[in-house]
Amino acid sequence: MNLLQLEDVGVRFGGLRALQGVDLEVKQGEIFGLLGPNGAGKTTLFNVISGLTAPSSGTVRWRGASLAGLSSHRIARLGIARTFQNLRLFSSMSCLENVLVGMHQHARQPPLAALLQTQSFRRRESQLQQEALALLDLFQLEATAHQDAASLSYGDRRRLEMARALASRPQLLLLDEPAAGMNPSEKDELRELIRRIRDQFKLTVLIIEHHVPLMLGLCDRLAVLNFGQRIALGSPDQVRRDPAVIEAYLGGGT
Amino acid sequence: MDAGLLEQMLLGALLGLSVYLPLRCGQLSLATPGFFAIGGTVAALLSTRVPALAGSGSTYPITSVLLEMALAALLTGVLALGLGRVVLRLRGIYLAIATIALVEILRVVTLNLEFTGGALGIFGIPQPFNSAAGYAAFTLALLALICWLCDRLEKTRPGRAMAAIRDDELAAASQGINTADTKLLAFVLSALVAGITGVVAAHFLNSWNAKLGNFDASITTLAFVVFGGSRTWLGPVFGGLLLTALPELLRPVGDLRLIVFGAVILVGPLFFPQGVITPELFKWFKPRIGGITTAAAQGVKQ
Amino acid sequence: MEGLLQLLFNGLSVGAVYALFALGYTLVFSVLGVINFAHGAIFTMGAYFTYLLIGGAVGANGLLAGLQFPFALPFWLALPLAGIAAAAVALVVERIAFRPLRDRGSDPLLALITSLGAGVILVNLIQLLVGAESYSIPVGTLGSLPAALSIAGAKVRTVQVMLLAISGLLLAALSIWINGSRSGKALQAVSEDPVTAQLLGINSARVIQIAFGISGFLAGMAGGLVGLSISIAGPYFGIGYGLKGLGVLVLGGLGSVPGAVLGGLIIGLAEACVPADLSGYKDAVSFGFLFLVLLVRPQGLLGRPQANKV
Repeated sequence: MNLLQLEDVGVRFGGLRALQGVDLEVKQGEIFGLLGPNGAGKTTLFNVISGLTAPSSGTVRWRGASLAGLSSHRIARLGIARTFQNLRLFSSMSCLENVLVGMHQHARQPPLAALLQTQSFRRRESQLQQEALALLDLFQLEATAHQDAASLSYGDRRRLEMARALASRPQLLLLDEPAAGMNPSEKDELRELIRRIRDQFKLTVLIIEHHVPLMLGLCDRLAVLNFGQRIALGSPDQVRRDPAVIEAYLGGGT
Repeated sequence: MDAGLLEQMLLGALLGLSVYLPLRCGQLSLATPGFFAIGGTVAALLSTRVPALAGSGSTYPITSVLLEMALAALLTGVLALGLGRVVLRLRGIYLAIATIALVEILRVVTLNLEFTGGALGIFGIPQPFNSAAGYAAFTLALLALICWLCDRLEKTRPGRAMAAIRDDELAAASQGINTADTKLLAFVLSALVAGITGVVAAHFLNSWNAKLGNFDASITTLAFVVFGGSRTWLGPVFGGLLLTALPELLRPVGDLRLIVFGAVILVGPLFFPQGVITPELFKWFKPRIGGITTAAAQGVKQ
Repeated sequence: MEGLLQLLFNGLSVGAVYALFALGYTLVFSVLGVINFAHGAIFTMGAYFTYLLIGGAVGANGLLAGLQFPFALPFWLALPLAGIAAAAVALVVERIAFRPLRDRGSDPLLALITSLGAGVILVNLIQLLVGAESYSIPVGTLGSLPAALSIAGAKVRTVQVMLLAISGLLLAALSIWINGSRSGKALQAVSEDPVTAQLLGINSARVIQIAFGISGFLAGMAGGLVGLSISIAGPYFGIGYGLKGLGVLVLGGLGSVPGAVLGGLIIGLAEACVPADLSGYKDAVSFGFLFLVLLVRPQGLLGRPQANKV
């Protein structure tokens, strides 16, 4: 069974068709890329999957069950985590707290124990902290654990968003332009990092990125969107040779 | 210091905490005086109309006051649960205006109803304490208990979720936080604190009328939090204590005192946009204050 | 029939004042996205200015006890002058309570508090200067005009007709200014998108001042008119209007000029329809409307919905 399946998904904003008849299947364990020019509907697709935008038509299925009508926190609890194109960190909180919020679903403790600070409560709390620190460590953010998220550099903020998303122990990770604003060497590191977390956490990754070489080198399969429609689908090799893709990227007069 | 003034200051701090709870969750609710008025009305009605509560001693029994507090908490809690579901769909200034409207509607209704005493209100509310100092001690214990609860809340999962919603509601939902329920929790807790405070205030003031929960009160209590700071519970407590005391402390300047009070709330946000008490300051304070409140709260439990 | 007409007139003349009041809120809201809680106090100042300019004497309880201007202006001149004085007050409020926050890039919601502080100062300044007693503008102020007119069989107070006429005139002038003048268009641009407006070379600081000036002028005139038609019921009397103005504002739609007018008229009429034995509940009408509107249509009758950007 496919982990995630989109059937004929369409989104309209007033008269504008942001997405139209998009079919997509994401298999367990793969790194799946979404390519396409600006305004092609990639982020809208993410918003549909994560429950921020309701599709006007079509169905999104998670392990075969429809996600229709589920609010974004319920979808997050099913195991779908995401990052945002224009960074949405909790800016008044420290990096550590950001990751702790990401652990929300797993951090539940009996209210009375929390109130009375019982032994088991404190033990669990410090265990969560260790877990959060380990995640920060993975993204080389351990030194900034107690700094406000707002004070980080752009690249660090991108990494912190990924750490926060991983903190919810997702099965599917949606990355919206994770390499934006990073320099070439950071981008190389990012590619390795994404592979590593996929293997380590047994993740499936759905990724939006503009940087074509990065995507061709990273993804197992790719889909290309243009004007809200899927114009190509396949392995990096297939997509690279697809005439429709060449047309969309070069023919449109970029 | 005059114990009566101290009592007013403590009540101010409690109201500050009531405004603070939703605000820490990013929700600008000005409903506190409404729930405060409901709590006061519950206390005024029960203590003047139900002879069984009066007891046999010379003073009104404290157990009756505690019972009134429980009933006021129940009523305001249920009301806040229902109203919160509806009004918390609104954001920012819209929520603020809707809650102002709620408070005003409640005031007009109280003013016109027979059993709440109309414009004159309810008089002769019995006294559980013989002196203002008694009230102050009781209220101090209550304040310490609520501060301690707020402190626990801030340091645990629901408190983190609230702060996350304040920073970015959409991102918070994407972390699996049920934002509607979390906001509702903050709103209900705010109503409980205001309702309980109303009970104490009604006994202390000896009479109760519709004026006590009006728009002025909405804004003044908001000023407590904005002035003191809304990142930690210490902010509203500080703001409530100081700003309640200020007009009284300024009595020597006579008629100018309210003008000076206005100037303070005008200038405060300019120099302290985060409020006077910020988390940085709080970290510095924590070892002392945290210890004191925990000790005081344990004192209450014994 | 006469009764109905009477009702209509009562409702419209009160509604017109509400509309003027809410317009002041809405002008400021449209450029800054916040509510000026000093607006009620500026309205009150307008009423006192009018009273002084027509030659009224201050009572015995304030610092200015017994003060009386050596001249007595006719009402038609005193009212706009009071409006201008109120506009000046509004500009001062902008300068001390709003601009410093913008200069520091603080949270705009803080302006709720700072403007309230300004309002508290103004109200208590009035009390300090002229005392807490209420003043009324004498009947003779309108010269030889009769106290009441008979329109289609209904007896209508002249004051109400004037109120309605002046408000109508002001509203018309305002909408011509907004849609027809350069500064009016600049105001629209700033309310649409302050950053882009700035990039296009619009001096938004100036536009904000203009919005405050006009807002204060309208509030001052409204204060003078209410003072004439009812009385000036002490330094706090603007606060009640200020709160109802909020209801009008939300009903019409925050930031919408035609909405403020429509909202004012609807609430004025609705209040006039409250039967006499329930008149105690009149003050709740505005808030009841407000509450319902917020729940059913939060953007108000003529406002635009909030966008939720991802």
